[in-house]
Amino acid sequence: MTTESKQHGGHLVSPDGNWYWDGIEQEWKPASAPPVARPTAASRRETNWEPAKPKPAASTSLSSFVGSVRSDDLVFGQTVLVWARWILIGTGLVLSFWTPSDLLTLQVQLAAIIALAFGNFYLHVQLLRGHPALDNVVYAASIGDLCVVTALVIVQGGYPSPVFVFYFAAVVGISVAFPTLLTAAYALVVIGGYGIICLSTGGDGPAVFTRLLMIAAIAVCGNLFARNESHRRQDAIRIHEELQDEAAESEPSAQLSQPASPA
Amino acid sequence: MQNMREVRTAAQANLEDVFFGQTVILWARWSVIVAGIVLVLWTSTTISHLTQTVPFFLALMAMNFFLHGRYVMGSPPNRTAVMAASFVDLVLITAIVALWPGSHQQGLNNQFFVLYFPVVFAFALVFTRRIEAAYTVIAMAAYVAACAFTGTLPFDLGGDDKTLVMRLVVIAAMGFLGNYYFRIQRDRLARASRGASSGVEDLVANLRPAPARRPVRS
Repeated sequence: MTTESKQHGGHLVSPDGNWYWDGIEQEWKPASAPPVARPTAASRRETNWEPAKPKPAASTSLSSFVGSVRSDDLVFGQTVLVWARWILIGTGLVLSFWTPSDLLTLQVQLAAIIALAFGNFYLHVQLLRGHPALDNVVYAASIGDLCVVTALVIVQGGYPSPVFVFYFAAVVGISVAFPTLLTAAYALVVIGGYGIICLSTGGDGPAVFTRLLMIAAIAVCGNLFARNESHRRQDAIRIHEELQDEAAESEPSAQLSQPASPA
Repeated sequence: MQNMREVRTAAQANLEDVFFGQTVILWARWSVIVAGIVLVLWTSTTISHLTQTVPFFLALMAMNFFLHGRYVMGSPPNRTAVMAASFVDLVLITAIVALWPGSHQQGLNNQFFVLYFPVVFAFALVFTRRIEAAYTVIAMAAYVAACAFTGTLPFDLGGDDKTLVMRLVVIAAMGFLGNYYFRIQRDRLARASRGASSGVEDLVANLRPAPARRPVRS
């Protein structure tokens, strides 16, 4: 899912290999290692060369405790997550003031939503400044989303609560931003947790089944699309590089074949 | 060579997006079919109920078999066919919401409105913004119409209206978020086709310190 590779002691390296991210000084620095000779189109054909496949996102994403590695896909998917969370916050705020049932529920709702809003504001500002948050912060924020929705569902009585629909918005962001394994893990947590809540609060079997199946369907569709797009990008990069190599190979021969210019 | 441009036209890009993206719609439809068949088998209390409802899902299943088969064979249906099939999805889901047996399980009381979510989301991942917006609005209007048709919408700004608004907001969010991500991915693909494999170059440009101003000597 990512297009970067880890080099220089675990630093993020740009796709062309010429820059690496210095997390301490917060700037991109030129890579000191000599550039690797790129294979030409002819050598690719001879050796049946294939472009280096990106490492699994989990390897970069989960190893980011040190705070210098970010996965490219998570950076782009983060914007979807942030907007999904703003939708949750905005809708939640408006609906909280619309025929509130009792004081305790309203207090819990407002406290959770305002806490979420502060966290999302921080993440959004980081994105706007060009400093996407660390992977683990994003993962934790998504857990926070799910916890807030779950708290609201429980406060409103479990199965009868209409707030469960916000699970869908949260899972959409997760499915397009996170690697497949993490998406599956988050979806399973949601399905398991919400399923237990529904069944323990007298949920109607078919309705609960439909809700859980649709949450799973959203997770599958989003992640499937993200993976498809990743493959398309890899193909586009490979084709571009082959075209560049072929053009570079044809340029010298074209110059040689040109007639000599008069003195 | 560094200034190599993407050679795809906008029309070609749209066709490619439909080609590669329709697998998401197919899988979303499979989820709706599975949910529908399980629900029908689970909740049927009479033979007539079962025989009246199952054919709709069998028809949808046959359609999706055909579409998925063509996709697997490498000749997926064109854009119009994909859109038509997606509208059939909306019609079927709206029929489930409005016509489900039992007056207490129709309209706003029907819990199967969640079938709208994956369908709208998958559609938003494939089509451009205007088409997606139209589809999302049609889905929302169809749901409101189904609720109004069954007389389960009180229009008194009470709890039921609040529930309806909440559901409509999430349907709209499915469309918006799906298409937002679709546009991000399309931009990334265009950059990759030009030789820039990610947005890291922009990040570098953003992080590069601005040139220091020289002090003006008086």
